[in-house]
Amino acid sequence: MVFLTLPCWIRSRGPDRYWKVQEVLKHARHFRGRKNRCYTLAVKAVRRAFVYATQARRLKKRSMRTLWISRIAAASREHGMKYPALMHNLTKTSVQLNRHVISDLAITEPRSFLSLAKLAQARRQEGFNAALGDGKEPPGVFSRIVLLQ
Amino acid sequence: MAATRGLWRTWSRWSPRTPLLFPVAGRPHSSGPRTSLSGPPWPQQPSPVPEEEERGRHAAVVSTVNRLIQQQDFGRLFAVVHFAGRQWKVTAEDLVLIENHIEAECGERIRMEKVLLVGAEDFTLAGRPLLGKELVRVEATVLEKTESWPKVHMRFWKRHRFQQKKIVIQPQTVLRINSIELDPRLS
Repeated sequence: MVFLTLPCWIRSRGPDRYWKVQEVLKHARHFRGRKNRCYTLAVKAVRRAFVYATQARRLKKRSMRTLWISRIAAASREHGMKYPALMHNLTKTSVQLNRHVISDLAITEPRSFLSLAKLAQARRQEGFNAALGDGKEPPGVFSRIVLLQ
Repeated sequence: MAATRGLWRTWSRWSPRTPLLFPVAGRPHSSGPRTSLSGPPWPQQPSPVPEEEERGRHAAVVSTVNRLIQQQDFGRLFAVVHFAGRQWKVTAEDLVLIENHIEAECGERIRMEKVLLVGAEDFTLAGRPLLGKELVRVEATVLEKTESWPKVHMRFWKRHRFQQKKIVIQPQTVLRINSIELDPRLS
């Protein structure tokens, strides 16, 4: 007797389910709880982890920049200047160092940072002197700046 | 003639409407009591140094630095280099990882030309914005050219059946900074 219906009942549902599941679980092995073992929970957790990593790569640039700025501000206040004054005067003297490098200099090369701060201070003084003027009236005009005593 | 065309002042030229807020800083006068508005609110600037003294100080500094450079009297130099769209603070024997492809073979020596700042223990030379190519020489060697680890770029909107996953592998280059040299000719 030949039974022909038995082979028709056996289905081959996809020979690589194990490897597809392991592909997801390998990214979840360091998670806490059942998320590191059970596939249904792990899928959701791994998806969230990837999305958070993608977003964090964009946010890392912003937070690094704020970190550099706060470090430069602290270091410049040690030398008696404020961050906006320092950066504005450095750009006015056409020194094109970025915040990353200036914060590294403030940490590892304090004397170089001091020289940059003094450069910015000198440029700031020159700006003030140019703005305040010599105290003389502009030539040829009866100036309004004459004091009424 | 004060009332010619183009003159839009509503008050006459001879009597200012708004009195000056502060006396001009270059004219200190001791008459009258000192009030909160008798001087400008910013701190009193120190009197400017006369020009000859400034020039003397600058010449002294420049000659000191020149002497140090000519006698090669410095230890380790560091430099700030603009390379591959980023600025790096670099010394000799440094490793630098660049996240892109560089048109040079492994083992080739490269000279980095855009130097923004060079410093030693006792002096710093800051370029405005760059230092001259005859002044500094930063040399590097390409060590290896690899690819980064596969980074996952995933976007997901919940309740919208939207999910995209992309694996991103970027080429990387590793450079070793061989030396930073200063030329003893400074103006």
